[in-house]
Amino acid sequence: MRKPYFLLKTPPTTPEPAEKLAPWAETTVVGKPLPRVDAYERVSGSAVYALDLFLPDMLYAAILRCPHAHAIVKKVDTAAATKMPGVRAVLTDSDTEARIPWYFTEKGPTSRLFDPHCRYEGEEIAAVAAETPHQAADALRAIVVEYEELPFVVDLDSALKPGAPLIHEGGNQVEGTLVYERGDIAKGFADAEAIVERTFRTSCEIHTPMEVHGSVAKWDGNRLTVWDTTQGVFQVQQSLADALRLPLSNVRVIGQYMGGGFGSKLEISKHTVIAAILARKTARPVKLFISREESFLCVGNRPANTMSLKAGVRKDGTLTAMHLINRGAVGAYPGWAGVGSQVADLYTCAHVRVEETCGHINAGQERAFRAPGFPQCSWALEQVMDELAAAIGLDPVEFRLTSIPVVSQRQGGKPYTSTGLRQCLVEGARAFGWDAARGGHRRNGPWLRGAGVAACQWGWPGGPPSTVIVRYFADGSVSLNMGASDIGTGTKTIMAMVVAEELGVALDRIQIEHADTGTTQYATPSGGSKTVPSDSPAVRAAAVAVKRKLLAMGAEQLEAAEDEVVLKAGEILVAGSPDKKVRLAELEGLMNQQVVIGVGHREQNPLDKVTKPFGAQFAEVEVNERTGEVRILRLLGAHDSGRVMNRLTYQNQVFGGMTMGIGFGMTERRVLDRQTGKMVNSNWHDYKIPTAMDVPADLTCVPIDVPDNEFNSTGTKGLGEPATIPTAAAIANAVYAATGIRVTDAPINPTQLASLLADQRKRG
Amino acid sequence: MMGSFSYVRAGSVKQAVAALAHDGARLHAGGTDLLGCLRDRVFDAGSVVSISGIEELGGIAALSGGSVRIGALATLAEIASHPLIRERYPVLAEAAASAASPQLRNQGTIGGNLCQRPRCWYFRGDFICTRKGGSLCYAFDGENRYHCIFGGDGCYIVHPSDAAPALVALDAQVSIAGPGGSRTIAVEDLHILPKQDIRRETSLEAGEIVTEIVVPPPRAGLRSTYRKVRERGSWDFALVSVAIAAVVAAGKVSAARVVLGGVAPKPWRSIAAEAALIGHAIDESAAMRAAAGAVEGAQPLAQNAYKVPLLRGALEEAVMSLARP
Amino acid sequence: MSSLSKLRVRLRVNGEEHEMLVPVEKTLLEVLREDMGLTGTKHGCELGECGACAVLVDGKPVLSCLALPVELEGHEIMTVEGLAAAGRMHPLQEAFADLGAAQCGYCTPGFLLAAKSLLEQSSDPTRDEIKDALAGNLCRCTGYIKIYEAVELAARRMRSGSETAPEQAVLYGR
Repeated sequence: MRKPYFLLKTPPTTPEPAEKLAPWAETTVVGKPLPRVDAYERVSGSAVYALDLFLPDMLYAAILRCPHAHAIVKKVDTAAATKMPGVRAVLTDSDTEARIPWYFTEKGPTSRLFDPHCRYEGEEIAAVAAETPHQAADALRAIVVEYEELPFVVDLDSALKPGAPLIHEGGNQVEGTLVYERGDIAKGFADAEAIVERTFRTSCEIHTPMEVHGSVAKWDGNRLTVWDTTQGVFQVQQSLADALRLPLSNVRVIGQYMGGGFGSKLEISKHTVIAAILARKTARPVKLFISREESFLCVGNRPANTMSLKAGVRKDGTLTAMHLINRGAVGAYPGWAGVGSQVADLYTCAHVRVEETCGHINAGQERAFRAPGFPQCSWALEQVMDELAAAIGLDPVEFRLTSIPVVSQRQGGKPYTSTGLRQCLVEGARAFGWDAARGGHRRNGPWLRGAGVAACQWGWPGGPPSTVIVRYFADGSVSLNMGASDIGTGTKTIMAMVVAEELGVALDRIQIEHADTGTTQYATPSGGSKTVPSDSPAVRAAAVAVKRKLLAMGAEQLEAAEDEVVLKAGEILVAGSPDKKVRLAELEGLMNQQVVIGVGHREQNPLDKVTKPFGAQFAEVEVNERTGEVRILRLLGAHDSGRVMNRLTYQNQVFGGMTMGIGFGMTERRVLDRQTGKMVNSNWHDYKIPTAMDVPADLTCVPIDVPDNEFNSTGTKGLGEPATIPTAAAIANAVYAATGIRVTDAPINPTQLASLLADQRKRG
Repeated sequence: MMGSFSYVRAGSVKQAVAALAHDGARLHAGGTDLLGCLRDRVFDAGSVVSISGIEELGGIAALSGGSVRIGALATLAEIASHPLIRERYPVLAEAAASAASPQLRNQGTIGGNLCQRPRCWYFRGDFICTRKGGSLCYAFDGENRYHCIFGGDGCYIVHPSDAAPALVALDAQVSIAGPGGSRTIAVEDLHILPKQDIRRETSLEAGEIVTEIVVPPPRAGLRSTYRKVRERGSWDFALVSVAIAAVVAAGKVSAARVVLGGVAPKPWRSIAAEAALIGHAIDESAAMRAAAGAVEGAQPLAQNAYKVPLLRGALEEAVMSLARP
Repeated sequence: MSSLSKLRVRLRVNGEEHEMLVPVEKTLLEVLREDMGLTGTKHGCELGECGACAVLVDGKPVLSCLALPVELEGHEIMTVEGLAAAGRMHPLQEAFADLGAAQCGYCTPGFLLAAKSLLEQSSDPTRDEIKDALAGNLCRCTGYIKIYEAVELAARRMRSGSETAPEQAVLYGR
């Protein structure tokens, strides 16, 4: 199977634009707090999500999954299921068309669609298509499977010990230990005047977007159409074409309205291929959606990490050395659970060593989850920064300000195109009232109050490839055609605003076609906080291409030179000749052609510089010293994401990111039963995502609105992921400020704090 | 997705009791716990017997003599907001308001709340545990951070109800109708421990249903409160909870019932905590002594030792909140 | 086994009577979406944990995934499709749209209905009352703040009977 674009060694490109577009000097649409262009659909119940599709003659499919953490399937008896009412197809590993390789490493596949070697609870064993969902569910229950249960291991420490049950031949460790090193940490620690060393643990977190994962598949001859809950239709198209040995042109993947993804819908899942095969087998459309419980097992997670971090500092605030040893569990199949990037890059430090070891356990494969690796790293790094500040008697904000880099130390010392970290810290602290919040311990009955800060950077800047088409119609309305998905973040709105900015067209005159491999052009999946920085420059280029053509038509009609004419308020004017003008609606060239088409590509990223978004967050909490209950009183996020395209969607991303950070820091954790290896909390009651009652009423953000014009033509960097990176660490630092207790294991909650506070009382 | 069942709408308690005599019959009141269990295949139903249409089982009203009758079909939302309950029995109103989520409180009934099945993730999950007829309590050596520290024996569930500890604290009575007629018992005697019957959480016999709850008149000087500690602000069962009803006369506690939730397979009355309060003024030292008494004899499992200090803290807070009327 | 026998059920949904034959074990959620084509009511967990499937029954929010249609005969059911009247969106819908309270939008129908029930009981709810009323609806995108602000804006507009513009403080944050 083809590698996803972000794993390719050479950066992808699309053709460079003929002209380098100058940054917007001032904007009339971009930057405004505009409601979403599709807000009506989203609030009226009329938005059609993939699960809402009901095609004529459609069948419903369901998947039988392995109930054991580790087992070999000895026999699958589908005889009874096949005969059940309404059952139209049963698919197992005995069907040759289902023998599709899956879960790849550099060396090749490690498994297949219905592999008899099941390495985690939830692996696919068989699938059924029936006339109704209930019939499909009944048929699954009638399939008799004989298993040989195998020894299993669900925690990484045990998995990496000699003699542990082997999940793959060759051992449970993934590709050796990755080591990053610069300078000499021994020297750095020798220079330190204070050293902090501590081990931190985070819990495995599950994405659980509100919308579950699924697909509807339909064949017309040898052409396949799939409506999918995906963050990237082209990614799914490629994977389907590879799996089913079809030309790309025969596979059309259509994205519908999406109920969130957070990374769990970034790549294809087995159910999509299964739906396609069942649809081919039955010659009927097939809908296959997994259940909420299945979504906890088999569509990814944020791996649990154990991070030992040692850091040294001089009294003037100079970081002398940092040494991180990280271990992370990727689940049963290839993956990566590294976290080290911020240790190597967020603060200026001459001597750094990062050692990362990943291993397999009998659990579902990790999958990119909103800033993969970064919140875990922050949990360790930002708490250690807090301790270092205390050790040398510096304020935590002041301390961070002493170590702000202007170059990427990790990437060969190349300068950043922009570094907003200082503004994030300074302006965030001012807006938060940091100095007052840190002033002395405050007590309110048994409730102890404290404030904390944490900073962050994010790793992926975005870039090519991206190809966008803008069509300008004879009546002045516009079609924006782009491949990117809007997974709920407001992509459609931002892109339409770019078109409106360039062409002066009202937003309600712009129609958007997107996320459809049959009608739109290649775009990378909407993930990595890179959709706006990757695709908005291509949109701008396409709109500018349309504008150039319109101007050329105007110049011809007005008998002026092309560089004399400008487009303004629906008219083409000749500079200096107020009488010479023509309304676009009267443009002969446009009337003749009826449509003007502009194609835009994403320009290459600057080769000699590095781009990263930055942020800082501030938290104030109260901790009940009797019970360990934590009230988050307020949270503030200050983020540098380049130009703020839309203040409303900016707030949406920051508030949502911080709330997810509350979940990571306070309530969420996957629990695998040690005795059986099965997940015991695969539901939304036992797996606790934050509710309205868990979010502070005082949740605010401070946009650091500094366009990064060196990076791309819209001056944008990413935001969605950074907004969730430092939240948990900021809360942990606030809990420390309130109680003097350093909580090293996430999530913080009364089950931990009640005991820690009791221990503290005992110690006096 | 639920399996199939037949549906019986009972027009009267008598009809309901008769319909429940059939094998595999399951009672439906608000449906929230039943349908969840059926959907999760915790158990199946041959038939679902609905009592939701029996009017006489609803309502909240004062009885002559000052008691308050709560029909089995009264919803948690009705109890939480009813002026009689809020004025006379704050512990019950607070407990009902802290349960589940707003929608579930609109649907869930008090009868169903008392009779709900355990929330133990092994019981609800894909495990044949002792309570489901298996031979192993997975919680004992497994993931037991939410399990009991009192009263476990072959099964280590906690009783999930918030309202039950409040009703026990108020010394409420529950009426039960069944094939053999009607009977009334203390709510305190409704729930049983695993050592009495590991397959059931209540003393209800086959075919019996809860019909109403009667809360005795509040005594002069009654102060009551419910304190619940949970990991999440909504839709979360208690890590520990404390229901206290204390009568304060001339500055001292003359009578008290202290009932703990989230720590035992049934609402767990703490006689030691009560003894520490009775005869004393409500102050920090009484609270500390009551808290120390409440955790006596606790037997934590590997992951739930935190419940001991947590229970102490919650109990201290609950007691102190009663210092003023 | 799913049943082969069906029950005749009469439901009143968004002011209209519907009579249909449905297997008794199908939930109201399944019947609304699959039999009546009212897909605005969302499938989140099927277990009463998320509120995405909330509808109003006699004005009160209930979870359609934990309700049998046959139990709701004689009651008034409202789904998100019934919110707009006479071609106009409900003020709550307008406020959710104006303020970005719907991000992915999947949880939005449930929130709108829970909020409608609240505003019918209280025309000027406090922030705490709003949080309480919406505490049974999960959202994974917004952080809830925009939702509270939208409920407050809708309440303001409904009280004044006019199109109050969103306040700058609401639009720009503090």
